Amino acid sequence: MRHLPSGLRRALLAAGVFPLLALAAPFVATSRPWVPGAPGRAALTAPVPYDPDAVVLEGRLSPPGRAHWLGTDELGRDVLARVIHGSRVSVGAGLLAALIAVTAGIGVGALAGFTGGLTDRAALFSIDVVQAVPPLVLVAAGAAFFPASGLTAPLLIGLTGWTASARLVRAEARRVGTEDFVESVRAAGASRWRILARHVLPHASGSAVAGAPYVLADAVMTEASLSFLGVGVPPPTASWGRAIADARGSFSEGWWCAAAPAVALLLFLLSARALGEALSSLESPENR
Amino acid sequence: MIGLALRRTVRGLATLVGVAAVVFLLMNAAPGDPASLSLGRQAGRGAASPGAVAAFRAEYGLDRPLPARFAAWLRRAALLDFGRSLQDGRPVRERIGETLPATVALNVSGLALGLLIALPVGIVAARRRGGLFDRASGLALDLLFASPPFVIGLALLLLFAVRFRLFPVLGGVDEGPAGFVLPVLALALGAAAPAARVVRSILVEAFGSSAAAAGRARGDDAAAEVARAMHRSGAQLAALVATLLPVTVAGSVLVERLFSVRGTGALLAEAVFSRDTPTVLGLTLLAAGVVVAGSIVSDLAAAALDPRLAGGARTVTGPEAAR
Repeated sequence: MRHLPSGLRRALLAAGVFPLLALAAPFVATSRPWVPGAPGRAALTAPVPYDPDAVVLEGRLSPPGRAHWLGTDELGRDVLARVIHGSRVSVGAGLLAALIAVTAGIGVGALAGFTGGLTDRAALFSIDVVQAVPPLVLVAAGAAFFPASGLTAPLLIGLTGWTASARLVRAEARRVGTEDFVESVRAAGASRWRILARHVLPHASGSAVAGAPYVLADAVMTEASLSFLGVGVPPPTASWGRAIADARGSFSEGWWCAAAPAVALLLFLLSARALGEALSSLESPENR
Repeated sequence: MIGLALRRTVRGLATLVGVAAVVFLLMNAAPGDPASLSLGRQAGRGAASPGAVAAFRAEYGLDRPLPARFAAWLRRAALLDFGRSLQDGRPVRERIGETLPATVALNVSGLALGLLIALPVGIVAARRRGGLFDRASGLALDLLFASPPFVIGLALLLLFAVRFRLFPVLGGVDEGPAGFVLPVLALALGAAAPAARVVRSILVEAFGSSAAAAGRARGDDAAAEVARAMHRSGAQLAALVATLLPVTVAGSVLVERLFSVRGTGALLAEAVFSRDTPTVLGLTLLAAGVVVAGSIVSDLAAAALDPRLAGGARTVTGPEAAR
């Protein structure tokens, strides 16, 4: 960590907050005490001593205060506990979708740019086709055909989000493919696949890897949008998008139910974009 | 120019057929048999009789091989006939027709207002690059750009409808024009963020060019300099509209749900939720058609503004241009 440029170090720390929160959620927000004391009393409770799904109808829509830091929602569930647990959906779906998208994009882009000809044309046509439909519409349409589960959304987002990385890598791979060192490896008798895997891929994938946090931000935004539309992760799993949609009926009485997950979503998106900016400036120092 | 128009139209149609093929394969790869699904749903709970299922399969051509079915489906889709909704049995075209006016009104006014915000902001920021306005607006635009459309809408709603009670909390045409203000503003702000960034970077380049320096040497004042820079960058600015179309089309899906506007976006959400595949397919193709048509029109406008492009040079007209 110490040898990294300070901008990147800060961006990494900021972008790490929500993934850590997602990992720690079952320990941070739970009604199970950390240290059980005498029967009925806890010696040390968790920082947010509520279960995300615990319904308390008497405590509906109570405003933020000492007991519930961010208030409770229309079913009396603790908003902070639900925001913390909701990070698991956003972080998990976002990371999985971004991993699929960037890997597929690098694969398709490198193959198309290096091979050229028919493969290249086919890849460009597929990119055109995928980009002709707004990502959210494409993913939502896909969600209509497959069973609702926690995996459907990230898979669909990953399978539709690879085009930007593919374009970047394709352009780089075309350039690298004509360079002298590739020519010399070819003259030395290396096979096409070896050149592609050992020489073109490492040189061509830098910009796509640096851009991965942007793909992550797009994926997180699409997942939250899907959940907001009610076709993402099925209930009762806490997710930020669904929480905002559910709060629409009680805006006037409980603005905090919608505001808290919206702010969390925005902070995560901003942290991912900041990481993307830091990585990109590292990748192309002339743009700094 | 005519050659370019033909080439772009053919490419656009090929893209649309590609979209249709993907969507059609998706429909066929999905689990569940449409015949028993649809009949079962229309008859309420319970299984449909085998005879009815066979008749349904024959009527919709489900007993024929895949390519033949695709050809038949494509021929009907080209005439905007997407079949009947699985929800209420009415033609999909009718259902889309009912919701389209609200969405078109929302998108057109959102896009127009977005550009009206983005152009002055981008111009002033590019004129005084690094100045206070540039940095402040840059920060605001970064924040807007990172925000999903429904978060922008939510902020507007909490501020203007809940806090100040200026507008109804739930929008829609039935609430009169006041119900339309916040949805349009949410969409416009979402589109203005990428647009202003692109306008700024286009104009920063234009102001730094030798043509701009020559203009200043001839004694151009600020207004003339901006006008000339805009004129020189006309092609890039035209390409911007194509970049923004997918942004507003997707944005309106979310904004319509947030403000309960009865538009195609709300219809899409509802159709996806109830797995009404014919409606979903119709709306997907419609969205693709709008995006493809927008990119053709903006390419042609760009070529009209910059003859070099008519000869085959290309500009970037993809979503990544906004990044």
